[in-house]
Amino acid sequence: MHLSGIDLLFWLLGFLENLGLLVVLVYRRRAERFPFFTALITLNVIRTIVLYLVLRYSTRDGYFYSYWSLAILDTILQLCVAYEIASRVFRPLDVWAHDLRSSFVWLLGLSLLVSFGLTWLASPPARTWVQSLSTKGDLFAAALQSELFVAMMALSIHARLPWRTHVAKIAQGLGAYSLLSVLIETGHSYFGVGRELPAFIVLSHVRMAAYLVCVNYWIMSLWRKERPVRTMTPEMREKMFTLQMLLEYDLEDLRSRKEL
Amino acid sequence: MNTQNFHFVTAIGLFVITLVLIAGYYYFQSRRSSPSSWEELLAKLTWIDRNSIAEVALDLVDESGQPKVTDDAGSLDPSLVWKLTGGLKGLEALERNSEVLIDLAFYVQQWYPEALVTAERLRLDARELKWHVERLKGAAQKGNLQVSFPFYAQRAVVSYYRMTRRVLSLYEACNFSMLADLQKAL
Repeated sequence: MHLSGIDLLFWLLGFLENLGLLVVLVYRRRAERFPFFTALITLNVIRTIVLYLVLRYSTRDGYFYSYWSLAILDTILQLCVAYEIASRVFRPLDVWAHDLRSSFVWLLGLSLLVSFGLTWLASPPARTWVQSLSTKGDLFAAALQSELFVAMMALSIHARLPWRTHVAKIAQGLGAYSLLSVLIETGHSYFGVGRELPAFIVLSHVRMAAYLVCVNYWIMSLWRKERPVRTMTPEMREKMFTLQMLLEYDLEDLRSRKEL
Repeated sequence: MNTQNFHFVTAIGLFVITLVLIAGYYYFQSRRSSPSSWEELLAKLTWIDRNSIAEVALDLVDESGQPKVTDDAGSLDPSLVWKLTGGLKGLEALERNSEVLIDLAFYVQQWYPEALVTAERLRLDARELKWHVERLKGAAQKGNLQVSFPFYAQRAVVSYYRMTRRVLSLYEACNFSMLADLQKAL
């Protein structure tokens, strides 16, 4: 496979920036709070090295299978990051917000349905069924992720759930990238995939440029500290706990009255 | 472009536009609804006669907000409930204020994340309040407002009363200096 100068430049920049982000995550101790996100960035670093070596020393088939295996792993990890963000926003005290569970499940179901619908409509001009499946799979994953990020944002704002700074920055970056990925995957489904197609090359460069912008955004955001939070004193905690117990009781009582 | 591709591209176009519009709407809503200062937040509260609210609520619950178990519970005259709450318009004001009460809990939550439990309870209370007001709006459309008003209105007021107690307790628990201002406003 022939790589142009710009391809190599994007590859090198992607590798260096992912490495930089990984250093920030570890050095600033963000990795403990965002294990899936750290795993995703680590995978991106490893993927660049592996694919470069496979390209140089392995066969065309070897590259094909390495590329798609890592792409599938990347998609799974991106969905795990979506879960990680949801759990940070909707269960900050290790319990899912009671009144949002059903809305969240409903939105998840709707997102899956819409993503399936869009994927079903796509008919990429592919040479093999594997190529067709992978193009459709990419479109499905991009559509689902962009929907999930928008749904999470809407639901949390509606319920006034706070977004801690770092969680919000990761979500914003991934959300914007997913939305752009939908357009790129639409291009792939429309024009087809293959390095012999000029449209494919242009779309790949756009995707890489967008990803580099996201990585820069994450490096800057995750380097900065979050606004410090105060911790309640034991006395305050006790008062809050008593209040919570009273509220639980009151609410049950009020509900039972409503049912009468 | 064949028909299938046309449908596909149209569907993607609609999909992306919808997502961008939803994201934009909620982004600007969050910016608009997050006041920069405590004073601004407090100013959003509509003035409501707290004595009237307390009188209606305390007919069903005691001062701590717990349900009364005595025989005289729920003995307030229906016409008095209407007068004290200010009718449906008064309840709509309570509904608007309930949103501000959640914002007040959210204000504390920015410094004390543990206050989330109270904010969540307030959201549930606000939903109950809305539910009662919606029942009354439905009754008004069917011409049954006079019959349904005392039952739902009093329960809506109880929800609001409890919300105010919860917010005050939260500010008290967190030793917030704004407690005095809040007590005056509520």
